[in-house]
Amino acid sequence: MSVKKIAKKDFVEFVETLIRKERVFGVQAKGDRFDFAPLESAQDLRLDYDVTLQPPKKFFQPPAEVLMTFEVGGGYQSQYDDEPFVLLGVHPYDMVAINQMDELFSQDNYDTHYMTRRNNATIVACDVAKPSENVFASSMGTAVVKSGYDVLLTDIGDSYVCEAATEKGEKLMAAAKKAVPADDAALKSREAVWAKNKKGLNRHELKCDPAYLPKLLAKAYKHPVWEERAKTCFSCGSCNQVCPTCYCFNVQDDVNWDMKTGKRERAWDGCLLDGFTKVAGEHEFRKQRADRFRHRIYRKGMYVPEKIGGQIACVGCGRCVAACLPDIANPVAVYNRLIDDLGIG
Amino acid sequence: MSKPKIAIFDFACCEGCQLQIVNLEEELLDLLGGADVVEWREAMSEKCDEYDIAIIEGSITRLEDEERLKLIRSRAKILIALGACATIGGINKLKNNFDDLDEVKKCVYGKDANKPHLATQPTKAVDEVVQVDAYVHGCPIDRKEFTYIMRCLLMGKEPEIPEYPVCVECKAKGNPCLWEYGQVCLGPIIRAGCGARCPSNGFRCFGCRGYIDNPNVDAAKDVIDKFGLNIDDLKTKMVLFGSRQEPTIHG
Ligand code: SF4
Ligand code: SF4
Ligand code: SF4
Ligand code: SF4
Ligand code: SF4
Repeated sequence: MSVKKIAKKDFVEFVETLIRKERVFGVQAKGDRFDFAPLESAQDLRLDYDVTLQPPKKFFQPPAEVLMTFEVGGGYQSQYDDEPFVLLGVHPYDMVAINQMDELFSQDNYDTHYMTRRNNATIVACDVAKPSENVFASSMGTAVVKSGYDVLLTDIGDSYVCEAATEKGEKLMAAAKKAVPADDAALKSREAVWAKNKKGLNRHELKCDPAYLPKLLAKAYKHPVWEERAKTCFSCGSCNQVCPTCYCFNVQDDVNWDMKTGKRERAWDGCLLDGFTKVAGEHEFRKQRADRFRHRIYRKGMYVPEKIGGQIACVGCGRCVAACLPDIANPVAVYNRLIDDLGIG
Repeated sequence: MSKPKIAIFDFACCEGCQLQIVNLEEELLDLLGGADVVEWREAMSEKCDEYDIAIIEGSITRLEDEERLKLIRSRAKILIALGACATIGGINKLKNNFDDLDEVKKCVYGKDANKPHLATQPTKAVDEVVQVDAYVHGCPIDRKEFTYIMRCLLMGKEPEIPEYPVCVECKAKGNPCLWEYGQVCLGPIIRAGCGARCPSNGFRCFGCRGYIDNPNVDAAKDVIDKFGLNIDDLKTKMVLFGSRQEPTIHG
């Protein structure tokens, strides 16, 4: 597939034509923060952002969605959102998270709702131009990404290097008439950005190779850190909600006024929430805050990796660090504390 | 099968929650299609002593109201507390912060304070007097949640009301956290279900839906320190809807 170079002003023009043809979402300012939102003007696209408030998972697994409509005691009709769209500006760590979610939602029970949206998406990733306050992607090996995207953009000063990695990506970039094949200098500049980010997206430094985390956690179940930190946990679930690799959901039926028809909806859930583990008979098996707090860290560092070939399900975006009001959610702080106490190996 | 009979009663409140029901528009007709409203002072003049579902709006502030409420309870199969005044005592509980209720009365009513119809006692939420089967939280209530709860009850199903706090809905909407902009938001300890109505419009949550079952007030103290605020900043924010409601902040 092809690697091109496009001047920034020509890129704006290209995005403008894109908006006219397709449904485009892109990173934009939201007050003094950034978030993904429908893109109405190319001028609003902010590829120089640090981190978005919400991860892009909402485009594949929205906070709430209707799965099907049904008749009480009768048939049902699955509901799908199958309109194609373009997602502009996904950072590498978020792309890695999407790749992980793709694996999870397509194994065992293939999730048609997630996968329909995913297959309808064209993803334009972009390398990080400005590190956020809490990013630690360098520690997690997610500062650069090699797959999953259709196009990858890298800011090299006055232009972007754009690599089309799929058919979809080639098709998209074909509309960028002013793009030229990337020369050696451009490719070198891109290498330099990658080398810089591999080290520089590291506001919290993990004291071990992420591959070691499952082994570390295997001996940490009874460690006091869970109690200590969870003492001031609100069980507010903010750390779950903002995480690109949290995908738990709750399913609920709502019957219409005719009492004959209804809809089945699913909405985000979170393992930190009181009541999350409530099952039939009101039995709750992770009633203590500390148990729920520990569970999230184990999900990221041990349970999910077991399902996806050892990949650690924390991509170091740092969103949970920023979102946790009592400052206890930072996974690196927890892992480092365990390493200090339990050692490596 | 005859339609279940609904009666709506108001106690101490501003009747704003009933107004939300009046404002349901077409859904009100749906509700009336599924049930007969037999008593409703705000919308009709008939009175009736037979009903299946009693909807109670307002908090209980007088002895005779307690008696009236107990009578309603004895007649109803299902009793619903409607709005913050009924579910948690609401704003009316503010007066419970004062030890001398006569002083409170003088302050509010001036020279009329001793008139018999103004006799008062500490405010109680409905469930401090009788058993409540379903709660419709909020000040005022959320119309969508109210109709959802009514549909569930009419189907004989238990409505699912969030046990988690407002932050969940706030984050799902992608709002930046107001604490980072200097606001003392009660979101982490208040029950969700309003769709994070206030923070989504730039205002801190002041707690109208009441506390979650297991709020972590110690954490709130830590957060106050982190943002360089004073514990009184939090206390004054909690008083509007949290007066003499557990948990109280000590120290
Ligand atoms: S655990 Fe925290 S830092 Fe890791 S991916 Fe989730 S939100 Fe990002
Ligand atoms: S760890 Fe922090 S963000 Fe997560 S539930 Fe607890 S208080 Fe909320
Ligand atoms: S809960 Fe609020 S709106 Fe409803 S009756 Fe009470 S004061 Fe009025
Ligand atoms: S603004 Fe309030 S409700 Fe929203 S996340 Fe912050 S504390 Fe929670
Ligand atoms: S955000 Fe808080 S104060 Fe506002 S409606 Fe919801 S519970 Fe009530």
